[in-house]
Amino acid sequence: MAQPDEVIHQQTRLKIMATLRAIPEREWIEFTRLRAIVETSDGNLGSHIAMLESAGYITVAKDFIGKRPRTRIRLTRTGRTAFTKHVEFLRTIIDTATTHGP
Amino acid sequence: MDPAQDAAVALRDIEAAEARSATLWGYQRSAPQFLLWGVLWVVGYGLNDVYPAYGHAIWAAIVPIGAAAGFASLRGAGHPIGWRYGAVAATLAAFCVAVCFVLWPIGGKQIAAVISLMVATAYVLAGIWRGPRYIVTGLVIAALTLLGFFLLRQHFFLWMAVVGGAALILAGIWLKRV
Repeated sequence: MAQPDEVIHQQTRLKIMATLRAIPEREWIEFTRLRAIVETSDGNLGSHIAMLESAGYITVAKDFIGKRPRTRIRLTRTGRTAFTKHVEFLRTIIDTATTHGP
Repeated sequence: MDPAQDAAVALRDIEAAEARSATLWGYQRSAPQFLLWGVLWVVGYGLNDVYPAYGHAIWAAIVPIGAAAGFASLRGAGHPIGWRYGAVAATLAAFCVAVCFVLWPIGGKQIAAVISLMVATAYVLAGIWRGPRYIVTGLVIAALTLLGFFLLRQHFFLWMAVVGGAALILAGIWLKRV
């Protein structure tokens, strides 16, 4: 049976992963755009990004556009696979509950 | 919370985040095209206003320049260019040409209005699938075109250069925003 992914399961990280999965593979998303979609603070988003990065689910790139610092994030292949499995797990829970009923 | 209910909420969150992400990504990707065509409208309609007799020649130069620059900007940004984009543009162009032939004899300002309305319609149709900002842009372009054509016919080209071009540029800036 499919298992929950404890790294992805948390609500903000789930939204981050969903946001990243919706853009084409190998495309980056800027930190500010990701923050607006996930609707959280800089600090909160930063800590969740660090956790996902340490799990190998995302890649973070930092550079400068002129003098302005820019942070970009994208999903790794491992992250994409893990997220797909987690979604399967969620669907399995619902299917099981529907099959067995209350 | 019941695990099944918890899972259903999580799936709804995923769906919402994916939809918002895909829409904003589409906006971001298309923004440079709006900016480009906004500038080209300013130049094209501006020249059309100054040299009304050379409208065909002006747009025969502007449209290929815009198409080439648009493809180059997408390629430069590393975005894949599907054949469908080219096919949609070619279909719209062919439709505009066919409409003009059917309505012939037709004046330069009428041709310009038909093409601008066609572009506006394409934005609205795209918006129905891809996001409300395209719908708003299409409706604004259509309204400005009709306003200029019926109320300011004498200065229609200048109107489209200044107001129509500016509307497209503003749409591009808006689409770039989160």
